[in-house]
Formats: sequence, structure tokens, C-alpha cells
Amino acid sequence: MPAVAEAAAALKREKENRLIDGVLAGKHEDFHELIAPYRRSVYLTAYGILQVEADAEEAAQEAFLKAFRALRGFRHESQFSTWLFRIAVNEARMKLRKRREVPLETLFPDEDGEGSDYTPTMLRDWREIPSEALLREETRRLVQESIAALPEIYREVLTLRDMNGKNIAETSEILGISIGNTKVRLLRARLMLRDIFVERTQRKPTPQPPKGVSP
Amino acid sequence: MKLDCKHIWRELSNYLEGDISEEVRRDVEAHVAQCRHCAALLDSTHNVLVLVADERRMEVPIGFNARLRERLEREMAASRPD
Repeated sequence: MPAVAEAAAALKREKENRLIDGVLAGKHEDFHELIAPYRRSVYLTAYGILQVEADAEEAAQEAFLKAFRALRGFRHESQFSTWLFRIAVNEARMKLRKRREVPLETLFPDEDGEGSDYTPTMLRDWREIPSEALLREETRRLVQESIAALPEIYREVLTLRDMNGKNIAETSEILGISIGNTKVRLLRARLMLRDIFVERTQRKPTPQPPKGVSP
Repeated sequence: MKLDCKHIWRELSNYLEGDISEEVRRDVEAHVAQCRHCAALLDSTHNVLVLVADERRMEVPIGFNARLRERLEREMAASRPD
């Protein structure tokens, strides 16, 4: 790491430690400042794993709450962010388990059938500006669908490394697996994602109207 | 050393990471220059990953930060000794 980046990282760590000490000493409002740089990326991580906006928000909230309650147990053995993301990944995993307990067809009805009135990846489309290139929208939808179609362990590693830009070392630490395993998982995730994406691109050449957003 | 296609697939991820020795990098590039199949695989994987990285720009839901703050504050109030 270049000296400047190292100094910046040290400064950031120092600030985080000060905020952590503040929270533990009873200045609870310091917690908001402590987590502010991570709110978005924690949400994105949960979203990457869960692929449903409301679930991702809930998992992210739970993760921050847990981090607050468990802060005294944070041992500074890893970076605060690594610790936080580990909690977030676990929350997302738990939610995924819970979701599986619900009969699968209520969440994922037959993929192309008429009965499918639940399409998680489309839920936030109302926020997109409709005049934006339809092509871009279609591409994004295919990317999201392809990520969603990955097995969970591959979605996790891809979300952390390729979506959130965590480096290999931090990704492996968050997932609690070796660097070698992280690389192998990442290779499989990337190849599989590419295969799914290519397959879907060829299967669905024309944009489909969003399903399930009508009242 | 000449690499075959299977070797390229195995190195693909590390190659995209730049996490690869100079020697292997040269071998991969020599192979890809000759093999259209692997060239396409490398390019398309790279392109898909660029699209994945694009998802990073995705916004959090409207009101996310406010709802989070509210929930944390409820928790903080409850955990205050007074």
C-alpha cells in the first residue's frame, strides 16, 4: 500500500477506535457516525445475497443493531468494517434460510408462467427514470437475474469482491474461508455468472414488461 | 510453457484480478491471441464483471438511512441505564 493510503487508513482506524470508545462510554450517538461510511455497502451486500429490497433493508438494519449490541465484544483483531460485514453476511444468510422455510413456490412461482406475480428484481424499477435507455435497463435486469440464479456461496463471494470491491483478503476474512478457497469460489462464481448471463441474453432477446408491479 | 484451454479457464479469474505472475500472464495472452474461444470467454467474463461492478452505484431505498437511524435510536434508548 502506498504511504499516503497507509496513513489515511491509519487515520481512519484511529477515528473509528475513538468512536467505538465513545459508544462504549455511553455516547451512543457516536454509533451513527461510526457506521455512516458503511450503511450503503452493508445494504448492497445484503441485497447482493438476498436480491429482494425489503429483505435486504431488514437484514442491514438487523446487522447494525447486532453490531451496536455486540460492540463491546469487538476485539480489534480485524478491521471494524470486516467485523461489521461478517455480521451483515450472517444476517443475510439467516434471512435466506428463513425464506426457504416458506414454501418456495410462493416466493418463486414458475419462472415464466402466468402465475408469477412476484419478481423481486423489478420492485425498485419505479425509481428508474423511464426515458433512460431501455437497453441499459434490460441489461441490468439480466445481470440481476443472473446473480440471483447463482448458488448462494457464489453469490456471496461475487457480491463482496465484484460488487462491493472488497479485496480478496478481506473477502476471505468476512466469509471465514481461506484465501485459496476464496479464489476458487470466485473463479467458479465468475464463470458461472458469465454462462448464466450469456444463456439468458440469448434466450430473452426482447425486453419484457415488468410483472407483478400492478396493484 | 504453452497453456491449453483448461489452464486458461483456471487462470481466468486470477488474470482478471491481475493476481498472476508475469510469466503466466504472458502465456495467457499468447494463448488468447491464438484461441478465439478463450479470447471470447475472457472478454465476455470481463464485460459481465464490469456490469456487476456497475450495480455498486445502486441506490439504497428511499428513507433507508432515516429508518435505520430511528431503529437504532429506539435500541439505544432501551439500552440506556437511566
